[in-house]
Amino acid sequence: MAWRKSFFPKRASNEQMDSELRFHIEEVTEENIASGMTPEEARRRAILEFGGPEQIKEDLRDVYRVRIVESTIANLKSAFRFVRKSPSFSVTVILTLALAIGANSAVFSAIDAVLLKPLPFPEGDQLMRIEQRHLKGSNPTTAVAPVRLEDWNRMNSTFQAMTGYYSENGSESSGALPEKVTRAWVGPRFFQVWGVAPATGRGFSPEEETFGGPAVVVISDRFWRRRFNADPDAIGKALRVDGHLFAIVGVMPVSFFFTDRDVDLWAPVPANSPEAQGRDATWYQAIGRLKPSVTIEQARANLATVQAQLGEQFPKTDKELTVGIEPLKETTIASARRSLWMLFGSVSLLLLIACTNIVALLLARATQRQHEISVRLSLGATRGAIVAQLLTETFVLALLGAMLGLLAANGASGVFRSLASSLPRVEEIRLDARIVLYSMACSVVVTLLCGLIPALRGTRRNLSGALGQVSRTQVSARNPLQWLLVGVQVALALTLLAGAGLLVRSFRELGRVAPGFDASHILTLQVSMSWAESADFKNVRQRTDRILDALRAVPGVEGAALSVGVPGVPFKYETEFKLAEGRAETEPKIVAENRLISASYFATLGIPMLAGETCRDNEGPLTVVVNRTFADTYFAGSSAIGHHLVASNFGFSGPAEIRGIAGDARETGLDRLPAPTVYFCAPNAEPGSYFLVKTRNAPMSVAESLRGKMHEAEPMRSVFDISPLEQHYSDALAENRLRTILLSFFAVTAVSLACVGLYGTLSYAVNVRRREVGLRLALGALRAQIVKQFLLQGLAISLLGCAAGWLLAAAFTRVLAGMLYGVSPTDVVTLISVILLVMIVAAIASLFPAMRAARVDPMQVLRDE
Amino acid sequence: MPIEKSDLLQGTLDMLILKIVALGPVHGYGISLRIRQISKEVLQVQQGSLYPALHRLEKRGWLASEWGESEKGRQAKFYKLSAKGRKQLASEESNWKRLAGAVVNILQTAE
Repeated sequence: MAWRKSFFPKRASNEQMDSELRFHIEEVTEENIASGMTPEEARRRAILEFGGPEQIKEDLRDVYRVRIVESTIANLKSAFRFVRKSPSFSVTVILTLALAIGANSAVFSAIDAVLLKPLPFPEGDQLMRIEQRHLKGSNPTTAVAPVRLEDWNRMNSTFQAMTGYYSENGSESSGALPEKVTRAWVGPRFFQVWGVAPATGRGFSPEEETFGGPAVVVISDRFWRRRFNADPDAIGKALRVDGHLFAIVGVMPVSFFFTDRDVDLWAPVPANSPEAQGRDATWYQAIGRLKPSVTIEQARANLATVQAQLGEQFPKTDKELTVGIEPLKETTIASARRSLWMLFGSVSLLLLIACTNIVALLLARATQRQHEISVRLSLGATRGAIVAQLLTETFVLALLGAMLGLLAANGASGVFRSLASSLPRVEEIRLDARIVLYSMACSVVVTLLCGLIPALRGTRRNLSGALGQVSRTQVSARNPLQWLLVGVQVALALTLLAGAGLLVRSFRELGRVAPGFDASHILTLQVSMSWAESADFKNVRQRTDRILDALRAVPGVEGAALSVGVPGVPFKYETEFKLAEGRAETEPKIVAENRLISASYFATLGIPMLAGETCRDNEGPLTVVVNRTFADTYFAGSSAIGHHLVASNFGFSGPAEIRGIAGDARETGLDRLPAPTVYFCAPNAEPGSYFLVKTRNAPMSVAESLRGKMHEAEPMRSVFDISPLEQHYSDALAENRLRTILLSFFAVTAVSLACVGLYGTLSYAVNVRRREVGLRLALGALRAQIVKQFLLQGLAISLLGCAAGWLLAAAFTRVLAGMLYGVSPTDVVTLISVILLVMIVAAIASLFPAMRAARVDPMQVLRDE
Repeated sequence: MPIEKSDLLQGTLDMLILKIVALGPVHGYGISLRIRQISKEVLQVQQGSLYPALHRLEKRGWLASEWGESEKGRQAKFYKLSAKGRKQLASEESNWKRLAGAVVNILQTAE
């Protein structure tokens, strides 16, 4: 007979059930007839005895019904009971997971907000940054001329619209004191491109975007609240910015901060204004909105054609230009990408360690519960049902952990904001449904990662064997899987610690850098001014001198200087130079950083003059100072002094005489070696220029008197951005500090978890082998031998973990290569100290269980037997 | 007095069924008949308990089934023990014997 014995028995059909039951009734009927009843009576009795075939059939159907809902609820109930019944175990697991999932969700919230989500504009992925590139210049990307932007906008077929903007600082003087405002000058179609309309009032009318039309501004929500206390009647009021009146026509929504989050006002630049007609003008940062379903490649090809046409039409100005198009999102977040993914990788390793830790805990737990499990198996529970129940328990723990972790992650957005305010889009980081969903997904993954192996192993036992077994007589102390898990934890923790060690060392190296100037007593400040004012050179120079004199007159100030940027804060302004004296064709091109400063710059910052003298501020032919790297690179073996440099793409032309050679200073960033640099004595303050003031005492102590003096000297201008020079470095290192602090935190947590894992597993091993230890002690073994044996077991596994971790770290630290300063990713000192640290901590974690083993009382153990 | 299913220890019916089926392929009626005969009418299994138990054991893979002809030539569903069922029976039997032995011991000592 072909017996049907499949793993999934087919559900019996209704007819089969009927015929099976009918057979029984007929047999009973015959039995009754045989005992002397009439056939009718026999059949009636048989059916009566049977007690309702329909009811039985329903019961039979029940057998085949899988009760997902009921069994899930039952599993959840029993899981909660389990959590309550073993509080210390549950709390350990929940806290471990809360930490790991919380940290993971926090970093993911940053990744989600900064990298994954589209920019907070309607169809934000259509927004593109458009750049004008110069084929041959050494400074290839320049701002866009307004007329050219209009040409692009008119001639292209792939963009809905293009616009441009630039910003400057102005002084708003309709109130009692002048107030510094950041004003963005915007090209036509500005709000249309962003796809954002003012929250109150309106955007610019065509009339207002025409030359000679009414002067109007749209103000930011921030400015509206600060200045007008969110008064709706602010619309129509007038602002006086740099002496000109502007009527307010609209207020932007709170979430709109472009060009950057400091903008207070947006004012239109008419496309037909006479100043905007030069094809050489470099004004605008340009952005555009792609048409729906146009790809970036199509847009690039389209604009290349457009620019080629312009090149033929205007060969002189447009022939060598090309157009670059990049997604606005990419250009906004590029800097943060690597850091954030690195952190995400680290925090995922942390989660893996936590999971490994919990697997070990659950395995130990499953051994304790073996008796319970085998009883249930022998009572007829299927293995699947028990596995489902064990997984439910793990899931409940993971879910509780994830919920607690979410609370932690909620606080983390604040951490990001305070640790890395310069992180792009940092204000968008917050807890939302996506993060909650992510945490839930994490807990499901954790459940499967942590729960599956212990659940499968726990239910695998031969049940009849296990039932007879009493846990006391168990000797399965050598559980290779548990030791493997400890090794994995140590390896992963070592990897993270090695990365953190490198970042910390790199950060310390950065702090030790000798920048080539004295930043300690310098105060930096800006004075509001507009681009329009900077057209008249003579005027600008006089004003700059006036401001510098006013600053120098403040008590406690030892010197004042002007600089186009903040020394030591990343700012690149590369220029190609030619020598007026001529230069052999074979010599390399002269390319150098270009700094516009006042002659007092060197004295104020304490940069020594190595040869010659400083350049001169006076009018007449320009003079320059070069740094030592410049002299060594381009004038090796001969003196640079006396030569004349001609800048190729520079506002004021004419050969400039090299008057002196200054010491090297890290102008372009403390973490970068000094580049060849040319300092132009050109004290012409522009929007964005910094005044540097050397103070006798703490820099901020003179801030108030500086403000007062400036108000006397330049009553229509406002002074802002007053801060010590060192503060700028701290800001510039914000992202660096963020990743260093976070990775260190993750690494320390990882090492702690690994230690807990080691401690727990060793304690468990000691517990299981108590009897053996007791016997050995009774037979005369020394306590020191017992300690040594367990200690060595712990250390051996840690050492193996470290060896594996070394390999992992080699891969991980390669990721860090671009983030390190002054330390190599394969730095042996860091790696060895990290291994030593892990081994010391592992030794401490092993010592306690080992000592406990030695304290076993042999008499007690023998009595227990 | 016959003992009905509700008085049987939980899980005992399954063991009894497995034991009967272990003797050779048999249909549901045959099982109830044999339990009655072998227990000398002490144990009586209600059909309402028997058939769900049979189907449950079959679903769990301890029993296999096939349709065949009864001694009187009727179509009947025959049950047979699977290898898994045989193991299960062995373990249940040994448990039962230990339990029963323990109970007997206690009763004798307490006398």
